[in-house]
Amino acid sequence: MALLEVENLQVHFRTPVGVNRAVDGVSFHVEEGETLAIVGESGCGKSVTSMSMLRLIPEPPGKIAGQVRFAGRDLLKLSDKEMRAIRGNDISMIFQEPMTSLNPVLTVGRQIGETLRLHQGLDAAAAEAKAVEMLTLVGIPAPERRVKEYPHQLSGGMRQRVMIAIALACNPKLLIADEPTTALDVTIQAQILDLMRDLKHRVGAAIVLITHDLGVVAEVAERVMVMYAGRKVEEAPVRELFSNPRHPYTQGLLGAVPKLGSSLSGESTRLAEIPGQVPSLTKPIQGCVFAGRCAIATDVCRTWAPALEMKAPRHVAACHYALKEAVAA
Amino acid sequence: MTLASDHRTPPPGLAIATPLPDILKKVKPRTGFVGFLRRYPTIAIGGFLLLVLIFVAVFAGYLGTVDPTAISPSRRNRVPSELYWFGTDMLGRDLYSRVLYGTRVSLTVGFCVAIFASIGGLAIGLIAGYVRWLDGLVMRAMDSLMSIPPILLAVALMAITRGSVGNVILAITVAEIPRVARLVRGVVLSLREQPYVDGAIAAGTRTPMIILRHILPNTLAPMTVQATYICGSAMIVEAILSFIGAGTPPNIPSWGNIMAEGRALWQVKPFIVFFPAAFLSVTVLAVNLLGDGLRDMLDPRASKGH
Amino acid sequence: MLGYILRRILSTIPVMAMVGLFVFSLLFVAPGDPAALIAGDQASPADIERIRESLGLNRPFLVQFGEWAWRTLHADLGTSIFTSLPVTQMIGQRVEPTLSLMALTLVFAIVVSVPMGVVAAWKVGTWVDRSIMTFAVFGFSVPVFVIGYMLAYVFALRLDWFPVQGYTPITDGLGPWISNLVLPALSLGCVYIALIARITRASMLEVLAQDYVRTAKAKGLGQRSVLFLHALKNAAVPIVTVIGIGIALLIGGAVVTESVFAIPGLGRLTVDAILRRDYPVIQGVVLLFSFIYVLVNLLIDILYTFLDPRIRY
Repeated sequence: MALLEVENLQVHFRTPVGVNRAVDGVSFHVEEGETLAIVGESGCGKSVTSMSMLRLIPEPPGKIAGQVRFAGRDLLKLSDKEMRAIRGNDISMIFQEPMTSLNPVLTVGRQIGETLRLHQGLDAAAAEAKAVEMLTLVGIPAPERRVKEYPHQLSGGMRQRVMIAIALACNPKLLIADEPTTALDVTIQAQILDLMRDLKHRVGAAIVLITHDLGVVAEVAERVMVMYAGRKVEEAPVRELFSNPRHPYTQGLLGAVPKLGSSLSGESTRLAEIPGQVPSLTKPIQGCVFAGRCAIATDVCRTWAPALEMKAPRHVAACHYALKEAVAA
Repeated sequence: MTLASDHRTPPPGLAIATPLPDILKKVKPRTGFVGFLRRYPTIAIGGFLLLVLIFVAVFAGYLGTVDPTAISPSRRNRVPSELYWFGTDMLGRDLYSRVLYGTRVSLTVGFCVAIFASIGGLAIGLIAGYVRWLDGLVMRAMDSLMSIPPILLAVALMAITRGSVGNVILAITVAEIPRVARLVRGVVLSLREQPYVDGAIAAGTRTPMIILRHILPNTLAPMTVQATYICGSAMIVEAILSFIGAGTPPNIPSWGNIMAEGRALWQVKPFIVFFPAAFLSVTVLAVNLLGDGLRDMLDPRASKGH
Repeated sequence: MLGYILRRILSTIPVMAMVGLFVFSLLFVAPGDPAALIAGDQASPADIERIRESLGLNRPFLVQFGEWAWRTLHADLGTSIFTSLPVTQMIGQRVEPTLSLMALTLVFAIVVSVPMGVVAAWKVGTWVDRSIMTFAVFGFSVPVFVIGYMLAYVFALRLDWFPVQGYTPITDGLGPWISNLVLPALSLGCVYIALIARITRASMLEVLAQDYVRTAKAKGLGQRSVLFLHALKNAAVPIVTVIGIGIALLIGGAVVTESVFAIPGLGRLTVDAILRRDYPVIQGVVLLFSFIYVLVNLLIDILYTFLDPRIRY
């Protein structure tokens, strides 16, 4: 049994212009100690997926359906109280925006200690001592002084370290990291990634890493899931995905395939530009969600939505032409 | 391959994704005039009530009323009946007529104060926002004026002028101007930072043009909302001033005056106070509902969570 | 931080000076002859002249203002035209009921309104939110004396739970003091509760959408900790600001409430002074209330530094 099994996850939002199907039928699993990366452009439903696993989506206007089984229990069926006992304790989360994710009016020590007092029943003094310990662990100098400071007195990188300290304080089995390095300088990014890798080995937590940075994926992840327009379009072990992407969207992301009819611009190893825009999720989409931007889409694609198919061992993709095109390329 | 023409049968060998259920019920988006009223029920209710009251004010003379100032000693303190719908007061005047005519005073004061305070506040706010060296002085003056509780400022003004509806309007307007001025200045200052306004200034567009083209359109929405609230609060202040004897002169029937006259008897004849109180409350409520609706419409972020 | 507080204290001086200038110069900008107006229609020319003299209307404006300001700074607010008593003495006799009423209303209103606003924001869009906001619109729209009469009719005349009118000093016992003030405080509190509940809701809605609230929830904190510890503390600055600004409503409302409930406070003094056109008394009351208002808002500005560590610079 996998640590986390997500099945047919749907997250919809009611908006003034209609129902936004932000996440629509996503399934995946994470093994104990494994790192799964979820990649995709912004707005593809990565963050919503991660937040809905901890039920952090406000309902209403949102609604979550499907199954999120953590160690065998369906989180979506738990009471609010049972859910709270899991948040920050068995599963914790790191967010994208270190500048705004810490409460500006509470001290750093208080914010780390809070989790410990809540889940481990520590008293204030013990919680502060543990907070100092956690700050040391995440590599913040002069932790005794820093615990008494407020977030605005810390730099962005330091704040993200504090966020990591909060997330790891209770030794979670699963850590969900939502773009943990995006908002940081490149040098700080590398430091935070090193820290996460280092801690992963020490703590042994499984990680769901949400990112749009393929460099980060290559460095940290073991398996990769690609999302587009609220759906999973491809999933494979990291090497396999990078060397043999099947879905045209993934190929576009990797910039591996020269686009048909345009000049060769596919040399880049970073995220390549894919022409066109993500379709509106408030309107029904006929056929494949990617058809509107796909260079090889046919009438078949525009009519029939492809299901996820095993294209190679441990490698699935949702594209009618995936195998053929990948082989041809 | 012209498979697209056939939407029923998929081509053989294709793996088709199973369609997913709707987990949220679909709601038809509301459009048109009715849709608008359903989306902003407060505008519908407030607007309707206000229209009725305006009608009452304009046609007060044709709605079964008699001379609201006609004294009739033989018919004093009558309880509401078929003949005297709202009863009579201690001088035998018909309360129904007095209350209906009172609508005129309240609406006049409310609307006039809203308009004059908006114009005055707009002028002062524009000057403060535009003429840098005057800004500090003008805003200090506005802050000071705002430090005097509005009712007391109006009381002080009324104490040294003769009681008249015009002076009541003037006194309340003076007390309300600083609020509008602050709002307008805020908008002007934030707009000055905007690149397109900056560009217009740099391109040598003359100040009046900039005000006309960029500043006014952007102040209009928040000012409309503010003016509505000012209208409601002006009506309350007028009633309070009249109630404590510093407002509309006693010979003009205004709701505050009627209540002031009914005050001595309110424990035994509560209806004298009740009817003007109910009218006043409903009128202010209508105006405030309209204001809330306008705010929701013009600045959706301010009121709803999402 | 000390610098900030000092700057704020100093900045109230020009504001108060300008308030003084306003209040004083009203007499000079008033249309017509204020002396004649104050004296009334039956006054003899000698009476008018005496009033003109006592108000100092016959001397140059600046000289008058200087003298007046000097006296005011020494807590001398002049002499009542009607009673010939010093205004400070008249105010002194009436201060207690008004301050009692305002303090009680303030405490009661804050205790009720802040949780109301928090709950409305938490339950945004539901019937709970809608009922609270409907109450708030009513609180805004129904004038304080209307609420006063309604409450007095139901709870004093019909149910006889509280006295209809009057005031008992706190020195005569806490019970009678409170029971006399319950209805006035309720009526006066309505508009204030509406105001604070609305801003609390708006401010909380803004804060609840912030990333750190999401962090707090992700930690597994309960609804109460998230709302009242993480969110409310961040939403506090606009709320206390409005509490301060709302003091003006409270002051204005107190004048009327005292009339309805026959409380012998500053409001009654003001109303009596209006009827007698006793301008020095009105001037004194306006100055005193403005001073209280400025003082409260100064305290609130200083309070900011305790609420938000980012302001402590």
